[in-house]
Amino acid sequence: MTRARLICALAAMASAICLPAGSALAQVRAKADVACRPAAATLQYDCTITLTNSRTNEPLTGMTLTVGADMPSMPMMHNVRPVRAVPGQAPGTYQAHLALEMHGDWTLRLDLSGPVRDRVLTTMRFDPDRVMPAAATKGPSHKR
Amino acid sequence: MDDYVIGVLSNIGVISFIALSAYLLLLTGEISFGQQAFFAIGAYAAGIATALWGWPLAAALFWGAIISGLAAVLVGLPTLRLHGLYFAVATLAFAEMVRLLFEQFRYQVIIDGEPVGPNGTDGFRGIRYIFENDVGSLQFLGLIYALLVATLAAFMLLERSRLGVAFRMIGEDAVLAELNGLAVSRLKMLAAGLAGALAGLGGGLYAHLTTYLEPRIFDVMLGVHSLAYGLIGGLGTALGPLLGVLIDIGILESIRFFAGYRMIIFGGLVAVLLILRPRGLLDESAVHRIRRVWLRLLAGSPATKRLNRDLT
Amino acid sequence: MIDFVQNTLDGVMIGSSYGLLALGFTLIFGVMRRLNLSYGPSIMIGAYLGTLVYVQLSAGPLVVVVMTVLGAVLAGLYVERLCFAPMGAGAGIASMVSSFAIWMQLEQAAILVLPRHTYPFPPLASADPLALGPFLLRVDHLVMLATAFALSAGIHLLLYRSRLGLALRAIIDNPTAAHLVGINVKTAVTLAFALASAVGGVAGYLVLAADQQVTPMFGMWATFKGLIAMMIGGLGSVPGAILGGIVLGIVEAHSQWYFGPHIRDLFAYTLLFACLVLRPGGLLGETPSREPALGRRGA
Repeated sequence: MTRARLICALAAMASAICLPAGSALAQVRAKADVACRPAAATLQYDCTITLTNSRTNEPLTGMTLTVGADMPSMPMMHNVRPVRAVPGQAPGTYQAHLALEMHGDWTLRLDLSGPVRDRVLTTMRFDPDRVMPAAATKGPSHKR
Repeated sequence: MDDYVIGVLSNIGVISFIALSAYLLLLTGEISFGQQAFFAIGAYAAGIATALWGWPLAAALFWGAIISGLAAVLVGLPTLRLHGLYFAVATLAFAEMVRLLFEQFRYQVIIDGEPVGPNGTDGFRGIRYIFENDVGSLQFLGLIYALLVATLAAFMLLERSRLGVAFRMIGEDAVLAELNGLAVSRLKMLAAGLAGALAGLGGGLYAHLTTYLEPRIFDVMLGVHSLAYGLIGGLGTALGPLLGVLIDIGILESIRFFAGYRMIIFGGLVAVLLILRPRGLLDESAVHRIRRVWLRLLAGSPATKRLNRDLT
Repeated sequence: MIDFVQNTLDGVMIGSSYGLLALGFTLIFGVMRRLNLSYGPSIMIGAYLGTLVYVQLSAGPLVVVVMTVLGAVLAGLYVERLCFAPMGAGAGIASMVSSFAIWMQLEQAAILVLPRHTYPFPPLASADPLALGPFLLRVDHLVMLATAFALSAGIHLLLYRSRLGLALRAIIDNPTAAHLVGINVKTAVTLAFALASAVGGVAGYLVLAADQQVTPMFGMWATFKGLIAMMIGGLGSVPGAILGGIVLGIVEAHSQWYFGPHIRDLFAYTLLFACLVLRPGGLLGETPSREPALGRRGA
């Protein structure tokens, strides 16, 4: 008896999610270029993010941009508090100050929640003295 | 509720699925370091279903769970007959094989003029279901927890059912269970399939939560963590692994002051806790004690007293 | 044909260091019947100590070796005290997970002290590669091979010609009986741990010196290589460890040559999986009837 009720509840929830299907607005897709520099304190970095429309290459201004970070090798186990990015000088640029927990590879999650909703992810290696795009070497190799 | 809290709660919800998956196998006495493989399979399958084939979310999640469950049964066939440690290492090997295979897996479809799909080590970007269908982060959180509550209810039913008792019997002593007439290998296969499906469901949710997958995420760290949650939180009840997840992500949150030392402290805490209570905080004896207190409280209630009087 | 032989030679030489890693692993497993997931990271602690003296004090290779081994032994003893000694007989899973927790701890401790992604290690041998007919033999690989054989011969002697070795073999065979005849099991196990860590430290030094760098990935890498080699060769078997290491080395060398590094790793794990499914005891190890029990009634 309880089992049947369980299944009904599940089906109801599932259909609630199914219903708003396919309201695909003409989505603006964003592309991001990220450049980060180590800041004064250890594990702190200043990042400049340039957002452009991936189809027209126009800079995206006036966005609400939140930057979060997660380590790809330990998903969901670091909870770096997302920071709101401040618009920078040039149109389409935003500044964010990140406080990370460890050095290494971090996947930055750029959440756009302004006029347009989108998310761009980019993985970079954060070393004490510089930041570079992460190389694609994977697997338990003990070499760099 | 601000986005950060929603994010943390969503993470807790999704990780709970893989923790429960490892826990289910632990009940039958099998240690699996490889549940992250089914998490990965579920994630990729569900992501492909919505992003490349345009399926609705429920169908995609279901598809991910089914595929993972099937994969788990297929892997279980040759491996469940191995004993303890060999099975554990075999699951580890299998999980790494799956991860490395995903590094080679390329399946791209042109959608709106752009290639979308898994692209080996570059990962699988653009699982944009929640954007295209206007699912807010709070809504998705609701979905995660609705499914989690349903899963927990199923576990509670399991604990009270013959199947649950059978699983625990096998975990206690498989030979004795076989002598008592239980079809041990078939039941273990069932447990493996269910555990795989559970991990796959979690994976599908993860794929849509983060909108981005790459093989590197599904490495051995995830697998051993999921095992650890059950062992820390307790193997006496399905709430045990959840407690483990809360302690891990909860502690990781509350000791932010020690940002660089988190692992050191957490690792030490886990080691000490495991010395004191090798079956976790909510182990079988703790659950038993809590149940007795609960029953005693119930026995004092007027309804029960009236019932007892009527029966005698 | 030449490529085939060259790859096999390379594989044998690198495999010898895998064999040493497996040797340490199998010593611990033999006496404790448990898997130590912190094995690689404890070697890494030793390696970081070694690179510290190399970078800060410009120490010579011999000092670096000593420090590496010392660091590995200290870290190994720490792991033993925390994860394995206090656990009762039935807590096999718990001690494995505990060793994993300490793995994370050791890794983070190492990264805190030395946060960069790579640190230099003194080279193993700086001579040009030797030419043996059409084949090239790197001198550092030859040193690796020679050291591995010397060390395993030493361990073999220890196990079969010394009182400690006798005690260890007794414990490997049957810990309860060993206890009953008066062997101090706890001390012997601690010594076995120290010995295994020392062997691991040497193996780590060989590998890292051949590459002239150490990275934080090394811990997990070493654990995996040692584990795979040990399982191929057979749990609890000393010659099996070396054999397993060499087999792994050869398989890796060939698959890397034909398919590249990612497929190489895939082959290694597939080999492990196939070995476990088809022949769980490994090539030379114990037969499955004496399977290690990890459950509540573990030995």
